[in-house]
Amino acid sequence: MGAPVDVREINGSDLISALHLAQQAPAILGPNPTKATTSTTGTAEEYSQLEQLFLACLRTGDDQSAQACLDRLSHRFGPANERVMGLCGLYQEATAKDRAALEKCLEEYEKILSESPVNVPIMKRRVALLRSLDRPTDAIAALIQLLDALPTDAEAWCELADLYQSQGLGSQAIFSLEEALLIAPNAWNIHARLGELLYVSSSAPDSDASRLGSKSVQHFCRSIELCDDYLRGFYGLILATSRMLENGHADERPSDPTVAPKKTLDQLKGFGLQRLREIVESRSVDDQHWASSRSELIAAKELLNRFTSS
Amino acid sequence: MAVQGVEQTILRDPALFYWILFPISVVMILTGILRHYATVLMNTPPKSPSTLAESRERHALLRGVNLRNHAAAVLDQESFEARRNYMVAGFRSGAFLKDPNNRGQPPANPMTDPQGMEAMMGMLKGNMMMMIPQTLIMSWINAFFSGFVILKLPFPLTIRFKSMLQSGVMTRDLDVKWVSSLSWYFLNLMGLQSVFGFILGSDNAASQMAQQMGMANPAAMMNPMQPGQDPDKLFTSEAENLEVMEHFCILDGVEERVLRNFAQIN
Repeated sequence: MGAPVDVREINGSDLISALHLAQQAPAILGPNPTKATTSTTGTAEEYSQLEQLFLACLRTGDDQSAQACLDRLSHRFGPANERVMGLCGLYQEATAKDRAALEKCLEEYEKILSESPVNVPIMKRRVALLRSLDRPTDAIAALIQLLDALPTDAEAWCELADLYQSQGLGSQAIFSLEEALLIAPNAWNIHARLGELLYVSSSAPDSDASRLGSKSVQHFCRSIELCDDYLRGFYGLILATSRMLENGHADERPSDPTVAPKKTLDQLKGFGLQRLREIVESRSVDDQHWASSRSELIAAKELLNRFTSS
Repeated sequence: MAVQGVEQTILRDPALFYWILFPISVVMILTGILRHYATVLMNTPPKSPSTLAESRERHALLRGVNLRNHAAAVLDQESFEARRNYMVAGFRSGAFLKDPNNRGQPPANPMTDPQGMEAMMGMLKGNMMMMIPQTLIMSWINAFFSGFVILKLPFPLTIRFKSMLQSGVMTRDLDVKWVSSLSWYFLNLMGLQSVFGFILGSDNAASQMAQQMGMANPAAMMNPMQPGQDPDKLFTSEAENLEVMEHFCILDGVEERVLRNFAQIN
């Protein structure tokens, strides 16, 4: 998506900031929102802000403002612009009443794609729509087709990993996330996510648990190294190290250099618990600022309780 | 040579300022602005790929480069080897090419290839934008104002600057401080960049608008390959780069590193 305008707007999956933004819609759109302005001037930033507002309005159910945003965007860039087409499709999906309407959207996407096969926003919409229609295998196939043509799209690799994970295909999901990391090697959230996937896979019965587990610890460590107050990183580090310690993987193969010795794991776990406690304390004080990640905070508190009581 | 220690004085008509120095500067600034807008107007955005295979050809190279640059930060030995083998085999066999059957044939003549033609036209247009106004203005100055000394610099300069500051005035003994009309034109041509930046609101205003028009996925618009370049050759060289690469992983020992760097501070 477009360049972030404000820190609060970056976090697309955050409902609270989306609500805040959507409430500003009258102020941003001006006194006469239905009338598309005749001027076509404006900086790139203004238009990406408009796009963000469009998304926020759709999420919060303010379809009229969303329509106004969309009108302005298509007035400026023309309805044939690929990105505007994508947003248009998104609007239709969001306002679709029933499943038949969604199927109609899908048909429309396919028609567009048969005319211009490399319409990336529409391709992505199609994948998302297939997923929301409960056809994950089709979605995966469509996404693979997209990635075959555009192997440098990190967003699409992440989505593929998510789809694979939802189908229980752990190693494929890990591969996809590794590809995403190759494009954005310093994304600590993807490192932590990869650690989570590895952690989940290591619990499968027929897996090489010690290797996957130690890799998971490594990715959590890397995530912490890149961002030293990333809650999910510490949370995962604690879980991964304690499982490694419980299962006694460290003692199994003391000569294996890829598996960290027991002492290191112990220290890591202690360090993780200490830092997580600090983070939870500081964020509980400053509650409003971290409102969007309150669920994470609750989960972290629960984890800390579990470890202090046991 | 000029007599040392004696200030050369040339009596200049003040009209020289109003009728030569000032018009040349104004004309230069105006043509610069005009050229800027003409470029914006004639600029065609880079064409996005029209088929999936074409897009793959464009991005495969980037993927190889990404693997080479970022593998150390992400992959362990095993998955790196797997990816490297896949990429090298793909590059070597031409699996990423738009048209694998055309492999080994000489690249299409850019004159007949419509895409190459378009790119050439773009370059030609850009060059024309520079060439035509410059030729016109220079001949205008040459025809009307050649041989005028129009300006005296307030500071002394070494003799080397004579050819720069006094072109069109063949006077051996003239002090370097004096600037001729033709040289003033050249100075303007080279030195007005910052003025344009000031007037037009930084030079990349034009390019930014072009990007905004694209407004699509920026990655899809990018084309790492110049027209006329043979992608197969690029792929083979990238395959070689990947083959000679030595892998290390910064995830090895990250546990100790984290403990050392973060744990003891607290």
